[in-house]
Amino acid sequence: MKKAHIIGIVLIAIAIGAIISTVSDAATYADFSKAEQLEGREIQVVGTLNKEKDIIYNPKENANQFSFFMLDNNGVERKVVFNGAKPQDFERSEQVVITGTAKGDQFHADKILMKCPSKYNDGHADGLTEITAESNL
Amino acid sequence: MIDYVGENLIAGQVGELLIALSFVSSILAMIFYFKSSELSLEVNSWKRLGRMFYRIHSVALLGIIGILFYLIYTHSFEYYYVWRHSSTTLPVRYILSCFWEGQEGSTMLWAFWNIVLGNILIKTAKKWEGGVMTIFSSVQAFHLAMLLGIFVFDIQIGSNPFILLREHTDMLSLPFTSNPNYLEFVEGNGLNPLLQNYWMVIHPPTVFFGFASTLVPFAFAITALWKREFHSWIQAALPWAFFGVGILGLGVLMGGAWAYEALSFGGFWAWDPVENSSLVPWIILVAAGHLMLINRNKMRSMFATFTLTLLAFILVIYSTYLTKSGILGETSVHSFADGLPGQLIIFLVFYILLAFFFLFKNGWGLINKNEEDAFWSREFWIFIATLVLVISAFQITLSTSIPVINAIFGTDMAPPADPISHYNSWQIPLTILITFLIGFTQWLKYKKTAVKPLLKIITPSIIAAIIAAIGMAYVLEIRKPFLNLLLFSSFFAIFSNVDYFIRMFRGSVKKGGSTIAHLGFGMLVLGSLLSAGNTDIISKNTTPVNIKFDNDKDANDENIMMIKGDTVLMEPYFVTYLDRRIEDKFVYYDMDYLKLDAEGRYVKQFTLSPFVQLNEQMGNVPEPSTKHYWNRDIFTHITYADLDNLDENSQEEYRDADTLEIAIGDSIFISNSVIIIESLERNVDSSVHEMLTKNRIGLGLKIKARTLTGNTYEVMPLMIVDVENNRVFNPWVEIEELGVRFSYATTTKMDYDKVELRIAEKNKNSADFVIMQALVFPYINVLWIGCIVMVLGSFISAYNRVQERRKKNKQLNK
Repeated sequence: MKKAHIIGIVLIAIAIGAIISTVSDAATYADFSKAEQLEGREIQVVGTLNKEKDIIYNPKENANQFSFFMLDNNGVERKVVFNGAKPQDFERSEQVVITGTAKGDQFHADKILMKCPSKYNDGHADGLTEITAESNL
Repeated sequence: MIDYVGENLIAGQVGELLIALSFVSSILAMIFYFKSSELSLEVNSWKRLGRMFYRIHSVALLGIIGILFYLIYTHSFEYYYVWRHSSTTLPVRYILSCFWEGQEGSTMLWAFWNIVLGNILIKTAKKWEGGVMTIFSSVQAFHLAMLLGIFVFDIQIGSNPFILLREHTDMLSLPFTSNPNYLEFVEGNGLNPLLQNYWMVIHPPTVFFGFASTLVPFAFAITALWKREFHSWIQAALPWAFFGVGILGLGVLMGGAWAYEALSFGGFWAWDPVENSSLVPWIILVAAGHLMLINRNKMRSMFATFTLTLLAFILVIYSTYLTKSGILGETSVHSFADGLPGQLIIFLVFYILLAFFFLFKNGWGLINKNEEDAFWSREFWIFIATLVLVISAFQITLSTSIPVINAIFGTDMAPPADPISHYNSWQIPLTILITFLIGFTQWLKYKKTAVKPLLKIITPSIIAAIIAAIGMAYVLEIRKPFLNLLLFSSFFAIFSNVDYFIRMFRGSVKKGGSTIAHLGFGMLVLGSLLSAGNTDIISKNTTPVNIKFDNDKDANDENIMMIKGDTVLMEPYFVTYLDRRIEDKFVYYDMDYLKLDAEGRYVKQFTLSPFVQLNEQMGNVPEPSTKHYWNRDIFTHITYADLDNLDENSQEEYRDADTLEIAIGDSIFISNSVIIIESLERNVDSSVHEMLTKNRIGLGLKIKARTLTGNTYEVMPLMIVDVENNRVFNPWVEIEELGVRFSYATTTKMDYDKVELRIAEKNKNSADFVIMQALVFPYINVLWIGCIVMVLGSFISAYNRVQERRKKNKQLNK
């Protein structure tokens, strides 16, 4: 067998490995009910903050715990707990994307991405600012 | 018709005219250049026409850029672009950033570098000019088409940077558009606060210069395939490839520096899709450059050389598509939403098809089926190294492209939840291979090398690297096998290149460009391993309160609460939150870093002032502050701060009171002191409170407040009963120094054991804490020095290749 063939086979093997790893490391988009079926798996949920309920953050007790209620795109509400500081301007968020796992009737987020409308052109989609917060793992 | 006051319409009209002129002349230049190279490689009349129109195109484009700058500089908010990206309050130094914040401006920036490079090539490309400039003109036509802003059958082509604010589709029905004096009150939207940073003034032009420079080897390669001049193009394209490696590398690294200095994600690289998509073309360009090197004498892997050279530029377009089309959407923090996805796809697909067409029509025969390189030869191992680079680029592209894969195949994959460990699990092993190859490949000779002398010559570097790696792993407590291996291989790359530089080039900087670049890369890898792999979080939460809700993971305590005046231990420092300063729209938090001396006194080491940039429209942005030592950085940033009631008046206002049921002897903690309920005083008289006149009975609560520094204050809230009028008063009593007030809340019954007390604090008390994070990055300077060394090395080799080519041409002329 020639060197070129060996190299070719190795390359193809690595490429397949890369594809498998990408697919297996990829998180899944889902709603809360699906997240609960897949308890323990990394899931991304897109939804909105329920502004009627309390956003709980008492930095004086624990700067690293923050929780809120979120509605997914089907309108299902869950309490979301986040190990980290509350992102600035969280109350203004228009859309929230959380990554994490379902635990019982709560969702434990380790990443929050949110979009806020900018004040000047309220309602226009291009006025969004995005903020991410990572939990401190 | 409304007669609008104060609008400067001429500038925009001239601008639009110049866009049309520049677009048309780029197309004409393309046609004439194409014609000229159809005929011959010599100068002919078609080529002269091509040159003329490329120059007209260049001048017109410079005019467009000049006008847009002028409009931003004069705050001409009648133009949407100016309104959208700038404001009158913006410091002049950020005007450059306003220019390229938007899609149109960044397109112009890229096109600007293409006219710089194009005009250099008109002078230097000689026989290649016709073909190369055909490609350049075609790319410019695509860029200018993105500025046209015209509608053809309801399809918008391009987006005009000179569109008026009142005519923009977002503004059409708004009331101000019918007010002739609207310019008197319109203020610009302003620049994204994240971009108000000096790195954002220099990073985009550098990256776009790098992007533009990938077009030069691309254009040479296409021309070579087209004209079937498979060999001699390398000599001409080689300096440009290494110039591109240098400038694009510099741009990418500046992006990292910006992230480190201005963003609060605590590091210089986060595998963000936008970062990745600028890194991948660089990796491929490095691979292409190295293949050009080994193919300039012998055409062993010419097909691969062509493929990678063409791929570098295609990946640049793909990268622009990812960042500008909005497809990254939810996956990236800094993608622009307002793009022209359709046009970008056509731009991308056009050059993919062009590359495929020439590669398979004329390049297929170049695949070498018989001859093989010797195992111990330089060309064989350089080829292996380029394959490793290709794998690296493939893996990054694949994972970054998840949103594109979703769009094409209708899947619903989300990007990896933990991108850093996902990418690192691939890129660390590949980097181990690359650094090891960098260390030993250049000792190999072309064609064939004897193995024994080779082993002898690299042994000192290997031994030195083992010692250095063990020492460093011991000092920094690096325990992960892959990181230890990377530590070794990067030290090996460094030592081996220093050795080569001394032994083979005798320390000549002029000749040793490649060695210097490789040394820099080794340092870059070592520096990122030491700093990012061993980041020490010193802001550990040391309070007893720590609610773990998740048993699988360790409690997260990277953040710490700092109350103003408090001193908190953050090994090896004690940190005091000294004060909060408000300057204009910046809120600074001064943190004093102290150490204990031998006598147990605090000695100040330095002060860091992380800050929050207030921006009502786009959200407040926290920015870090870093103390740089030669061997480590101490990095701090604010993760949470109460930014309400920042002005002085509301600072002095009291918040709503809390009502507490207390007993004598109780103590209550408030934000800045401990309140001790000393005793109940039954017979207080007018000496205590002026309201205690005759016929009034006072019941007082003696309260002592003790601060953390040991000061005590006394105060006595009262219940005053007016017997005559049958009324009860509960006046507030205040401790002004502490910003706290009390009032006796029980009014109905005279219970002496349990009393209700109201306590209220001023707003300034509550805002006097922040949540912060402090990280130590060890040896991060190795990384930055490595970056600079690598970039300089690339430029030196580019320069050397130019000299080489000149010499060759001279010899030929003789």
